[in-house]
Amino acid sequence: MADAQSAVSEEKAQAALQELLWQLADDDLLVGFRASEWLGLGVHIEEDIAFASIAQDEVGHAQRYYGLLEGLGLGRADDLAHLRPPESRRNSVLLEWPNGEGQYFEAPRYDWAFTLVRHHLYDVFEIIRLEGLVHSHYSPLAETAAAILGEKAYHRDHQELWIDRLWRQGGEARQRVEAALALAAGLAGDLAETDPWTDLWESSGWWPGARAARDRWHQAVTEFWARYGVTVPPWGCPGNGRAGRHTPHLAQALAVLSEVYRQDPTAGW
Amino acid sequence: MTTREDPDRLEAFLARIDRGERIEADDWMPDDYRQQLIRLIAMHAVSEIMGALPEKEWVPKAPTLYRKLAIMAKVQDEIGHGQLLMRVAEDLVAPLGKTREDLLDDLFSGRLKFHNVFHMPAPTWADAGIIAWLVDGAAIITQGMSLSSSYAPYVRALQRIVEEEGFHIQHGESICMALAEGSASQRHSLQAALERWWPALMMFFGPNEADHPSSHQKANLRYRIRTKTNEELRQRFLTKYVPRIRSLGLVPPDPTLHYDAEQGRWIYQQPDWEWFRRIINGQGPASSARLTLKRLTYEEGRWARAALAQGR
Amino acid sequence: MDGERLTFDVYEVFAQTDPLGPHQHQFSLLASSPEMAMALAQENFLRRREIYSIWVVRRDQIVKSGPKERERFYRLKKSYRLTEDYRYLADKWRRYRQAPMTPETMV
Ligand SMILES: [Fe+2]
Ligand SMILES: [Fe+2]
Repeated sequence: MADAQSAVSEEKAQAALQELLWQLADDDLLVGFRASEWLGLGVHIEEDIAFASIAQDEVGHAQRYYGLLEGLGLGRADDLAHLRPPESRRNSVLLEWPNGEGQYFEAPRYDWAFTLVRHHLYDVFEIIRLEGLVHSHYSPLAETAAAILGEKAYHRDHQELWIDRLWRQGGEARQRVEAALALAAGLAGDLAETDPWTDLWESSGWWPGARAARDRWHQAVTEFWARYGVTVPPWGCPGNGRAGRHTPHLAQALAVLSEVYRQDPTAGW
Repeated sequence: MTTREDPDRLEAFLARIDRGERIEADDWMPDDYRQQLIRLIAMHAVSEIMGALPEKEWVPKAPTLYRKLAIMAKVQDEIGHGQLLMRVAEDLVAPLGKTREDLLDDLFSGRLKFHNVFHMPAPTWADAGIIAWLVDGAAIITQGMSLSSSYAPYVRALQRIVEEEGFHIQHGESICMALAEGSASQRHSLQAALERWWPALMMFFGPNEADHPSSHQKANLRYRIRTKTNEELRQRFLTKYVPRIRSLGLVPPDPTLHYDAEQGRWIYQQPDWEWFRRIINGQGPASSARLTLKRLTYEEGRWARAALAQGR
Repeated sequence: MDGERLTFDVYEVFAQTDPLGPHQHQFSLLASSPEMAMALAQENFLRRREIYSIWVVRRDQIVKSGPKERERFYRLKKSYRLTEDYRYLADKWRRYRQAPMTPETMV
């Protein structure tokens, strides 16, 4: 009886670990994909190059997380990244949202303010999440988190420098930042959603700090925007990515991401 | 060459060139030399920036996570080449009261040409492989020649560029080899991409002008801005790449292509130079679409650039 | 003895020995003006070398990375940016009876 019980809880704990890794991997893949759409189209040549590195960093992080999932026997990392349908994706809706209207190869009307504000909300959250994960009892995750955490401060600082610059410019730039924050806040409601896994993540030690993550994130974001006298608009979300409820933008993104791989997932590429 | 310039000064300048000395941005230089440099380097700069776009289409679509990262890094480098060359060009136009904005405006208005010959549609992943392997392979040959250019800032930029091109070619080889060793449909797409890009590769070096070089060519050779003719560069490309292309089981779409040992040169079918002339005048198959894309995003980003520019 | 306190500016000296090479940092010196710094730089740090170009920059005009910025330089290794990831190609080319391309043979 006791054995059966511990087998059940062991199974639950494994499911919780996988769930956490899906969220981590899918978040970074989508935010990296959105960042990569800017490549070659940036607002300033030097910035185009710098932001391309941020995009690479994020996709590189996703690659590591999918690698951990592969290590758990869930399939090849590339299959996991490219072949899973939208409803099994666990990224936040904030990160699947397009940079603006239009396709990157046709007539993109991308909003640099939204890209920055969205990425900044994510950076702040990701840093808080990683600061907990470096203490994970799952040591491959703890090691990965420690490696990744070192890159994140640069991302956050880069975004903050830009937001600050745009804000102080006033006029159109400031209006765009305000509009971007309103849009992003209305999408980011699921980003720090840890339920229904919070207790399991904490008790199994996969993510120490999971319970406090949302409050810490809200507080950090509130403090950042308070510097500009801005009250963060109410959090909301047109779905819940953590539960697999996404917008059609995710399906569109995945179709692009996997167009070639899908042609023949068993081939060498 | 402008006659207003002091002939002694001009002579002294040409003597420096003949001694193999390098010219710096703040050295005195004849107007004509400056104009030739601007023409060449600004065109090179915007060609890198525009040239990133066909491959960029494949950035998010690259098949695996690894390929996604590698092609992102590759396209990023190309924008980086544009940045380096832009800076060199900007320093050349600065005494004329012009800036980067003016150069980009010239690009959008069609006054500043770019290498249209590479603006073909790139409809498959194999195109991304062929571009990185062979288009970059061709480009590195002209860039390698320019390493002996007389203008030092250009050479310093090119040294960085050529080093990165080495990575690009290997990235391209790696993609092409994987396809060549892959499924029948992968091999087929690779051969199709080669056929698509072959005429552009032949045209890239420009017409064989051995008997009647253009005035630009003559001036560039005199100033040691370039040191080899179009045909010499094309021959070099064929020598390096045709055997490698064939070794992968690919067939260049030119039945006449062969090395003539007696003449010591490659014999090839002359590409359609009339078509080439139309292309360099801005009518590449995908040129206007990509230029429109670039202009649109440039204009869309103006508000942010304005904030950046005034941010002191 | 109770004269006014003397102040100098610190100038950082950079020099290029090869026209196609980079300007490299040499050292710093005290001077009262850019012209004076330029006049002193070569004999202080570059007596034994042929010089192509010298830059002197007043130190307070240089924006330097501090401890915080230095932390930001941390990056994960990105081997996909390096040719080392493609070393396997050399063997492959040999199997195709072709010499692998090198930086020298590429140009
Ligand atoms: Fe390039
Ligand atoms: Fe390249």
